[in-house]
Amino acid sequence: MSDFPPRVRPQLASHVRLKIDPVTNEPVLLFPEGLLVLNHTAHEIVSRCNGQNTLEEIVGQLATEFAADEATLRADVIENLTELQQRNLLLFKT
Amino acid sequence: MLLAELTYGCPLHCPYCSNPVATSSGEELTAGEWERVFQEAAALGVLHVGLSGGEPLLRRDLPEVVAAAQKAGLYTNLITSGLGLDARKAAQLHEAGLDSVQISFQADESTLADEIAGTRAHLRKLEAAAIVREAGFPLSLNVVLHRRNIERLPAILALAESLGAQRLELANTQFYGWAWRNRSQLLPTREQVHTAFAIAQAAQVRLRGQIEIIYVLPDYFETRPKPCMQGWGQRYLTVNPHGEVLPCPNATSIPGLRFDNVKTQQLAAIWSNSESFNRFRGEEWMPLPCRECPERGNDFGGCRCQAALLTGNVNATDPVCSLSPHHAQLQAMVEAAEQATAIEPWHPRQNPMKSMPVNPVET
Repeated sequence: MSDFPPRVRPQLASHVRLKIDPVTNEPVLLFPEGLLVLNHTAHEIVSRCNGQNTLEEIVGQLATEFAADEATLRADVIENLTELQQRNLLLFKT
Repeated sequence: MLLAELTYGCPLHCPYCSNPVATSSGEELTAGEWERVFQEAAALGVLHVGLSGGEPLLRRDLPEVVAAAQKAGLYTNLITSGLGLDARKAAQLHEAGLDSVQISFQADESTLADEIAGTRAHLRKLEAAAIVREAGFPLSLNVVLHRRNIERLPAILALAESLGAQRLELANTQFYGWAWRNRSQLLPTREQVHTAFAIAQAAQVRLRGQIEIIYVLPDYFETRPKPCMQGWGQRYLTVNPHGEVLPCPNATSIPGLRFDNVKTQQLAAIWSNSESFNRFRGEEWMPLPCRECPERGNDFGGCRCQAALLTGNVNATDPVCSLSPHHAQLQAMVEAAEQATAIEPWHPRQNPMKSMPVNPVET
């Protein structure tokens, strides 16, 4: 878990758009011929993946905003980021 | 998901073209009409539009059409041969808000690719791919696989890597329309299919995080049918160049099915009430063995166009399914194509007279 590269600044891949579905009000990632509906946690994480925040910055922001335990949050964030990167939706910029 | 077929015209003549073999006649929808379609589609819950054809770049008002889709809030993907794309047009499309570009390739190199396309296209596609990347678009490649190019898969993968594609769609030919007409020339052998699948799977692992590889199975070699369109009238709709609304892009091939037109009706009304969209919704239409099959919620009885084409009965179980009474016949056809030693030349797709390419193509 802790071996997540600290200098990585995750960013949505250029073919991916984050949008609120106007009909269902759910946050979705749109990409060619596909979409991923985000749960609340994933939405909070993805909306901070702007190519500038590092993992620790994302965790820090979420911990402040939701008064949550950092260690639990970190595990959640890493899991989400890794999955999105594996699905080619997120780029790990260094 | 909306597939917007802007025109049937195309400078290419691929023997598996998705255009109907006999296209209906009528005027192409105007950019203004497309704007209304996009607004109505967004209100229905549609999030994506594929701008396709024929070749959508033949529409001189394409930037206007893209801007209309963007204004409706849709994710826009241009599905093109790349012919007709120059830096100026790419900049206009970017300005209009186009999200993504998908270019078709016929093979990895120009001799074979141009033979399949029926025109000198490959080098122009390479140029178009570079223009797409320079304009800042994400690039997808689409390659239809068949007997003549499936063994080129390693080189096709290398091409996608070298062009900086983010996505590669490897679509084994599905046999409808033109591809059906050319099936004996296009059907791969079982060995080709197995080898290609293994190569694609290995590439999916090797290129994970770099290129998303979508591999569309050759369903004639399967024993369970594909969940065609994720169910009829559930998620997909196609509007053809003349404004007819189709539950699937091939639906005009089904005898006796009538289609409503966006020129005379609202999209929401067509989606909910039309005879064509309701014809195969749900399970009531299903024959045995589908009606009692535990898989019916996953594969929806397979493809209606395929059932109509292969059995003459649009309500039949898709013959791809090993439980279909027509499955053995399909297997025999696949085997016969495999044994064939003399392959006849294919029938290149002809353009419908009314929508010949606007820009003359050098040959």
